[in-house]
Parts: sequence; structure tokens; C-alpha cells
Amino acid sequence: MAETTAVRPAPAPTSSGGGIMRRLNLGTGLLAGVVLAAVAWFVGSAVWAGNDKATDQAVIAAEIGWVLGFLIGIGAFVAPIRWMLGKDPSHEDEMFLAGKDQGVGRYFRFTTDHKVVGVQYLVLAMTTFGVGGLLAMMIRTELAAPGERIFGGEVYNSLVGVHGIIMIVSTIIMVVGPWGNFVMPIMIGARDMAFPRLNALSFWTLFPAVPVFLSIAALRGIPTGWVAYAPLSDQAPPGMDAFAVAIILFVISSGIGAVNLIVTALTMRARGMTWNRTPIFVVGVVATSLLGLIALPCFEVAMVYELLDRSMEASFYVPDQGGSQWLYANLFWLMGHPEVYVILIPGTAAVLEMAPVFARKPLFGARLAVIGIIALVALSVLVWAHHMFVSGWAPTLAGPFMLTTELISIPTGLIFLVLIGTIWRGNIWTRLPMLFIYGFLWNFMIGGVTGIFLSDVPADNELHGALFVTAHFHYTLLGGAMIGAMGALVYWFSKMTGRMFDEKVGKVSFYVVMIGFNVTFLAMFYNGLAGMPRRVADYQPQYEIGNQISTLGAYTIGIGMLLFLYAIVHSWRHGTPSGPNPWHAKTLEWFVPSPPPLENFEVLPVVTGDPYGYGEVDTHHTTHAGAISGPAGHEGADS
Amino acid sequence: MSVDTEGSEVPTRPPVRERLASPAGKLVVGVGVVVVVMSALLLAFGIWWPNASLPTTASDTEDAVKSTILVFSIAAAPVMALVWGIGYYSLRHWRHGSGDEPPEDGPPLRGSNRIAVGWVVVSSVLTAFLLVWGLSELTSTTTLAAGAKPLVVNVTGQQWLWTFSYPEDGGFSSPDLTLPKDRPVVFQVSSLDVIHSFWLPEMGIKVDANPSVTTTVSTTPTLLGTFQVRCAELCGLNHSYMETTVKVLDGPAFDAWVTAHGGKPDVTAAGGTSNG
Repeated sequence: MAETTAVRPAPAPTSSGGGIMRRLNLGTGLLAGVVLAAVAWFVGSAVWAGNDKATDQAVIAAEIGWVLGFLIGIGAFVAPIRWMLGKDPSHEDEMFLAGKDQGVGRYFRFTTDHKVVGVQYLVLAMTTFGVGGLLAMMIRTELAAPGERIFGGEVYNSLVGVHGIIMIVSTIIMVVGPWGNFVMPIMIGARDMAFPRLNALSFWTLFPAVPVFLSIAALRGIPTGWVAYAPLSDQAPPGMDAFAVAIILFVISSGIGAVNLIVTALTMRARGMTWNRTPIFVVGVVATSLLGLIALPCFEVAMVYELLDRSMEASFYVPDQGGSQWLYANLFWLMGHPEVYVILIPGTAAVLEMAPVFARKPLFGARLAVIGIIALVALSVLVWAHHMFVSGWAPTLAGPFMLTTELISIPTGLIFLVLIGTIWRGNIWTRLPMLFIYGFLWNFMIGGVTGIFLSDVPADNELHGALFVTAHFHYTLLGGAMIGAMGALVYWFSKMTGRMFDEKVGKVSFYVVMIGFNVTFLAMFYNGLAGMPRRVADYQPQYEIGNQISTLGAYTIGIGMLLFLYAIVHSWRHGTPSGPNPWHAKTLEWFVPSPPPLENFEVLPVVTGDPYGYGEVDTHHTTHAGAISGPAGHEGADS
Repeated sequence: MSVDTEGSEVPTRPPVRERLASPAGKLVVGVGVVVVVMSALLLAFGIWWPNASLPTTASDTEDAVKSTILVFSIAAAPVMALVWGIGYYSLRHWRHGSGDEPPEDGPPLRGSNRIAVGWVVVSSVLTAFLLVWGLSELTSTTTLAAGAKPLVVNVTGQQWLWTFSYPEDGGFSSPDLTLPKDRPVVFQVSSLDVIHSFWLPEMGIKVDANPSVTTTVSTTPTLLGTFQVRCAELCGLNHSYMETTVKVLDGPAFDAWVTAHGGKPDVTAAGGTSNG
């Protein structure tokens, strides 16, 4: 209230509220981060001088200094400190934090509005995808012919590792980051997330992880692959320290985000929105967040141990000093397998959310979809050891883990049933998101089926560590999840920007990406079956043709992605205005203007039915249609 | 009221011919044709493709691997055809263009318990079959063939080379691997530094070489010739080049090779090495 703002000496010429936060932004964050990093580096170097782990220690100190400095500089701790001092932020302060009347500037501040955070995540994810994609092009260029022609083993191994981890992080955030934050709260009829400040903290904890990731290049890389198996990681240059710090940051960020998403979806759904009436995308986001919350901390623990090993010779992973390489492998895959479902479920849920809109039919067996997603979450924490079938660890567990792994095909099958059941006899509206749904159907089928080959222990003994595995998980994570995510981007683009996605360029990019993708990875399946190992810079001549095809395919993907990027940028600036509900869809986000105003709803909606009542006269998701503010449009989604 | 995909077969079932001629029946026939054609194509592809790409079969284990991949391909083909076929058929028959306004709403099919239960039962049966198949192949590939005394080879990985020693044949070592044909061999695998993975692609076996631990894997070579030995776990700078060869000889030739390397052929295995 006014008394706290009144005692503060800071002049607030244009508007009240905000306090010191008015002076803090990305720039002050970067400045404070660099300063604190430099201080930590010099102090660290001085304290540990002479120690043979001194470089690692100083690097770790500097990276942590950077992160703390950045968070302090951008104002992440201002509100908690004010609370501790008893100076609660006023309503004006909160509105300032939410980005009221700040134009583009709010994207460069510690802004709490969930829509700002969603846009920030989208731009960040696209940027990291760009970096990861560029690295993929470099890898494929090296592999275009036998011989270590361009990079040499050390650099190549780092390229593979950084490409892997940056893509893993990008794909984890690519749906839940932008759309879980931007759309999900509106979808459930809320004005913001349950913890808006945590939402901002989640993004601004991830942001400083990006420079930490990139510093890997300056610190001589991570020539270990993204799995960073110990004890190879103990030999790695200081890039491994940056890798570990970045992972720890990422896990903290995603944990904060996950808690926030779960609490929001559990407690802030509109009046009348029972679980039966909750959109499937919301279910997917909750399931994913829960799974991430269970799985990802294992990675954090693994990385803390790694840092202790590297900087203080703690020997968690050093076999001849009482440690075990299998401790690392287990921790890693306890994260690693659930994590692929953390990537997959949101993309899948987005596809299921879009399918009814473009088939003009209710979601077929909506309850089956929910059961399928829950079963995926439950089973996916019980399969990690299938990544260790050939490790020699616990051979007697091969049978049980083969069982759990193959069981996953049943809930996955349910998802397919729901999808084709929804499409079947629908009136197929072949707008761009529908193409991506079909792309998902094609790619994910191949990804799923090849996974069954790998679940079989004798077959895995042959195929593990070969390119077959690489092709398989690219089909699930890129061909499945990412194609779904691209569809989601097209689908919700107008809600975020108020403009239609350029579907002409978009369709061309879709076909180019799909063709390039299938060429690349079918050829990789071939080479994998033929016995070409993963993560090699050089190979025998019999794999040359397959590699050339893969490289051509990869360049094609690159071209398609550039076209897609062009379509995004062009549509964002020049797209035709979309109106609130261009798809005539029925979920709540289409009942508010595009882009939605701060706090989304003037009057909170009441939900009376599920959002998939296509072809049903008496199913209405909400009675709220008339309460929409903003430009007049066909907000009455029930046509 | 919703119309079920498989026709309105409520109280009295009309004869099959009539049911097939009904609109719902025609649908089922139409999509059935697509699925069958697609299954056939996928089946042909699934049989040809692994055969065309998998390496030569040089052991009984690789034989099991190949039959597993073949069986899984055959099982997968109709499943893929069903899903893709339904997707393709829908796109072909109920496509309404990409205009600005959406098409009319389709029929409000909310689901069908019969289809759901059927789907789960079929996928469970398939999964059970694959599991049983896998477990039986797992048992057969991890059980040593009876009869001949197995040859023991100690495999040691280090950055970036392999060393093979023959503890029961005089204990000599060699930088490349030589094995007798048709005699079971047990590899005891270990590493001096980081994790490597001992892989014989043509023999379908792979196990990690771990520091401070010995892991084992076994097979029986069934083909004379020279094949690859690969490292299949990223192990640092020269991982790409951590490979050598395995030469499979018949019994007497193997014994001669052992002698030529300063070893002594294991006499207790006599008869075992030459039972080709």
C-alpha cells in the first residue's frame, strides 16, 4: 500500500511503484554477474594457488559468482529481502513487477507476468535450438566423408557432447516453457501462475546457465558426450566444471518451474473445471512437471558429486578409491530415462490438444489419454537400467527391465489410439498444425517401434552404442516431440502475438524438415544396423554412403528450420491480425483477446463442460463467451 | 446418438454380406484394404532391410539377434500399418481443405469401451509375446553351449587399444583377437582407465570394459574369417580408432597360432578345439 512507497526516497516521476526494481534489468544483471565472477575468479585463484585442482576450483567459483551476481543484479532477491525487512511490496510494486505499461522493456526485466515469461522461454528455446542445430550441422559436416578431416577427435567429441546437452535442455523447455507458462494459466481460467515471482525466478535462473554452457567452448570442451560418464569425465578439461554448474542451474530452474506449474494447475482452475473438463494439455503439463520434479534432481546430485570429485578429489566415481562408475551411471539414467518422457509428454499432449480442433471432433477416449499419460509417468521411472544392459551392472536385472521397458508400449499405444480415434471420420482441416500432427504420427511411430527393438536385451547387445540408438531417439524426441512442439507453436502463435502464422512458408518448411529428417535418420538406422558406432569422428569406408545421405538430410533439415524461423519472425512482425479465436477452438485461452491483456480475464470464467464438444449441441466449455473484452471477434467458439 | 465405427450391430445381427454393404461396413472394408496393403509393404521392407544392413553372421549369438530383429519387424508391420492406414484413410476421405473457416463439426465420437479394451488386449498380447521371445533368446544367448570346454580370453581395454590374453593357454597376450571356430568362448572384460565397451559386431556381443570390475560375455564363433572388434563407448580422443580384428580359425590352426605366440594349447580342451 501507499505507506511503503511514500517513505522510499527514490523519485518515481512517471508512475508509482517498483522501487529499486525500476533501476534493475538485464543490463545490471549482466554487469553484476561479470563483476562477481571476476572477483570470485581472482579470490579463488589466490586461495587455491598451487593446488593441482586450482583451475577447476577457480572456474567453479567464477561460474557460481556469475550466477549469484546476475540474480542479485537483475533483482531476483529484492522482494524476498523487502519481506524480511517488513517492507511488503505494494500493489503498485506488484503491478510494476508484472510489467504494467513497460512495453518491450518488460521482457528484459525480472517480470512476473506469465505471458512475458512464456515469450522469454520461447525466444530462449529458439536460440538454444539454433546453437544446437548449428552444432549438428558441424557434426554432420565432419561425418560427410571418412577421416578426421575438420575437427579432430577432441573437438569432435566436445561438439557431440554440447550438441547433446543443449538439445536435451532445449527440448525439455520447448513446450512447457513457452506454452505451459503462456497458455496453460489462461486455459484453466487463471489470471497468472500461483507463484508469479517464482515463475520469473525460474526463467532468470535458466538464463545465466546459457553463458555457463557457452563457456564450455572457452574451457576446452566436454569431450565426453552429453552423458559425461565417469571416470572419463574426471579426465575432461575445465569445460566439465561449466557443464556441471550449468546442469545444476537448469535443474534448479526446472524444479522451481515445475512446482509452480503443478500448484497452479491443481489449485487455480476456474470454477467448474473438474478434471474431466480440464484440457488434456494441462494434464500433460502437470504430469511432465511431476516427472521432471522426480527425475531431474538425480542429475543435480550426480553433478554435485562430479564437481566434488573434480575439485576436491572426493572420489565418488573413482573405482580404485572406493567409488563406482556405476553410481554415476545409475544416477544419470535415473534422470535420463524419465527425462525423455519429460520431453515427450508435453509435445504429445499438445498434439492431442490440437487434434480435436483440426478434426472437428471430440477427443476420442479422453480418459484413455489421461490414463496413458499417467502410466507413462509411472513406468518411465522404472526403466532406467535398460540404458545399462551392456554395462555389466546387475545382469540378473536384464529380464525385469526388459519387462518394464516393453510395458511402456501399452500406454504409448493408448496415446496412438486416442490420436487416430480423434482423426478417424473427422472433418480434416488441413491447416498447418494438422500437418504437424500427421508428421508426429509418422515419426513417432517409427521412433516407438525401433524402441521396442532396443528393449530386447539380445538385440540391444548388438545395437547399443551404435547409430541405431541415435536414430531411434532422434525419431522420438525430434521427430515426435519437436514436430509436435512446432505444431504447438503454429497453433498458439496467434494467441501470443495477435497475428496469424505464415502458413505458406510454414508448409514449405514443414515438408522440407520432414523430408530432411526422415532421410537423415533412416540412413542413420541403416548404418547403425550395419555396425557403425555412435560418437566417432571417423569411420570405415562401408559406412560412407549412409553418412553422405545423412549429411544431405541434415542440411535439408537446416534449410527447413531456417524457413520456419523466417516464418516466425516475418509473421510476428507482419502477420495478418488473427482475432481472438482463428481456429474456432473451445478452450478458454481462445475467449480472451490476442495477445491477452495483463491478468487475462476481466471476469473469471465458469466452466460447464469439457472443451471438446465438437458436433455436440449441448456441450459448452464455458458460459463466459460474452464477457470477453477487447476487439470484437468471433469469440463465440461454439459455431 | 453416436454411430460406432464398426456398424450398428445392436440386437439382431444381419448377415455378414449386408453388414459389409452398410455404410459402416464399407468404411471397415475400405480402411481394411489400406491396412492390409500397407502391412504387406512394411512386412517386405521389414524383412529386407535388416538383412541388407546387418553385418555377417559369425556366431550363434548374432544368429539369435538376427532372428529377434526379424520377428520384431514382422510383429511391428501390422501395428504400424493400422495406425498409419487409419491416418492415411482419414486424410484421403475426409479432407476439407485449408480454408480460413473450419469445416462443419464431425460426428461426436467420444470413444468406445469395446475398441479401448480390444486395443489394450491386443497390445498386451503382443507385448507379452515379445517379452517371452526376448527372455528365451536372452537365456539361450547367455547360456554356454554344453560339451566343449570354453576358451577363456581376458580382454583389457585401455585408451585406445585392446589387449587379449589367453590364461588357460599359457597366458600369452596379443593385440588382436584370434578364436577357434565352433568352440564356446568366454570373455572376461576389464579396463585400465575409463569405461570402454567391447563389441564384436559380427558376433552380436557387447559388454562394457569397466575399471576395477570384470564383466563377462560369451558366444560361439560359427564362421571362419576376419571380423571387427570395436570400442562402443566414447572413451576419449582416439575412440574412433579403438578397433582391431578378430580372426576365427579352425581348431588345429588355432592351436598352431597359440603355439606360434609362445602359448601352450590347453590340452584339457583337446577334441574341443577341433570338433568342427
